[in-house]
Amino acid sequence: MERSSSEEVTPSEGTVLINPNPNMTSSSLLRPEWPTIDGPLGLSEEDSVGYARKFFGFGFLLLPLLWAVNCYYFWPVLRHSTSFRRIRPYVVGSAIGLTVFSAMLASWSLTFTIGGERLFGHTWDELVMYNVADRYGLTGLF
Amino acid sequence: MDQNHRNTGILHTLGEEIIRIITPVSICMLSVVILVSILDKDSSLSSSVSTIATIAYTETTSDSEWDKFKGALLNSLVFVAVVTVVTFLLVVLFYFNCTKFLKYYMGFSAFLVLGFMGGEIGVFLIQVYSVAIDCFTYVLLLLNFTIVGVLAVFMSKIPIFVTQSYMVVIGVLTAYWFTMLPEWTTWVLLVAMALYDLAAVLLPGGPLRLLVELAISRDEDIPALVYEARPVIDPRSNATVQRRVWRDRPVNVEAQSRPQVDTETVGSSRNVEEGRVNELSVPLIERLRERGVEPESLGLEGIGLASTGAIKLGLGDFIFYSVLVGRAAMYDFMTVYACYIAIIAGLGITLVLLAVYQKALPALPVSVMLGVLFYVLTRFFLEDFVVQCSSNLLMF
Repeated sequence: MERSSSEEVTPSEGTVLINPNPNMTSSSLLRPEWPTIDGPLGLSEEDSVGYARKFFGFGFLLLPLLWAVNCYYFWPVLRHSTSFRRIRPYVVGSAIGLTVFSAMLASWSLTFTIGGERLFGHTWDELVMYNVADRYGLTGLF
Repeated sequence: MDQNHRNTGILHTLGEEIIRIITPVSICMLSVVILVSILDKDSSLSSSVSTIATIAYTETTSDSEWDKFKGALLNSLVFVAVVTVVTFLLVVLFYFNCTKFLKYYMGFSAFLVLGFMGGEIGVFLIQVYSVAIDCFTYVLLLLNFTIVGVLAVFMSKIPIFVTQSYMVVIGVLTAYWFTMLPEWTTWVLLVAMALYDLAAVLLPGGPLRLLVELAISRDEDIPALVYEARPVIDPRSNATVQRRVWRDRPVNVEAQSRPQVDTETVGSSRNVEEGRVNELSVPLIERLRERGVEPESLGLEGIGLASTGAIKLGLGDFIFYSVLVGRAAMYDFMTVYACYIAIIAGLGITLVLLAVYQKALPALPVSVMLGVLFYVLTRFFLEDFVVQCSSNLLMF
């Protein structure tokens, strides 16, 4: 059963579209009705805006994983570029933030690991995690 | 007949539901076995663990077996007593509607488990593999991991997959911590917890049963650490299933537009194909049990069906299954396989009983008893047999 075009609802109205058609294809031409990856078990569209905004905002507190969760959660929003116009800015922002942060973190971390003592001198020994753990006795906490 | 229809429905959806609950349990057990095999090289760790579970008696290798057994028994009694007291406390708090406090406490204990225990195990792994990571990156990653985990436990608006993964991770970390207890204490503790679970859920005065009845009468969800399997969604309806604890018939958009009588007369093949669990009456609720760990987090133990028909398994069950298998791994892998089979069989039996009795059931007793039995049999009889056969080139 094909979806008729009269069932198209614009996201700006903020209404929840309930689709009686079970044969949803995942082609990018059809507009997905649920903004979250959980589908009908996830959030409705108007709730999603608040959550997307909050995840995006809190991610700035050095929490790139929160941005990643945001992108994963609202994957249908990312994938279908013309839908959910209210949610999309936050999710795209999270994706960009995640890429930038990961690039910075990876570059620092790889420099540290690969450079090693040759590059850092004796501070490498002070910064590397297993020495820090030994120094502060972190393995005996429990 | 409604009864037949209900039974067919259960049988058909039970397969998928069983897989959706056995997979995380297996992943949890596998992770604990791997952690135990990697990190068990030095046994000096076990002597430094002092917790509630070893408060009565600390096992030393020089004691006789009878002394060890008595000490372990004492330890377990103390532990079970503490757990009982804390569970009754929980019932009282829930009775006085301190649900907010319970939620915050849950979040706090998740923070402790993920942050401190996770960090410590991470450091162990780094030391074993000499990973040259610097402390800033490590702390940043750990902080991220912990905070997102606390959010996953706290809020329900996180992707289901992320919440489920964090539940499994919390189970793995706590189970690994429990395997650091002395050997006799661990085994007697497992048996004691199985018996406690049986009593707490099924006896009329048991704290878990009281909690469950309170939750039913108020039509509320108990705030607890529970693994909830993804519910089987009917492809016809796609409407969000309402979340209520007690439900006789699903109240959703489809039911209003199409009366239930209609679906039943449409032909049994269609209903069988769909296997909608939420067409059955699902009067099941989860039970709450205290997981008496250092951070006394709320573990939900036992098995039940959520309002959507999805199976809920308490985190305490994950933990004790994994402790059993982890302890078996400290001896040999043969015991691991035997105990794994025993636990999965026990879980299957519990699920069948759940379908038959339609009430909240303890998930520990059957699995743990079978697991302990198989461990003893394997360690003392099967291993000898297999080794003798192999060394005589009879069977490998």
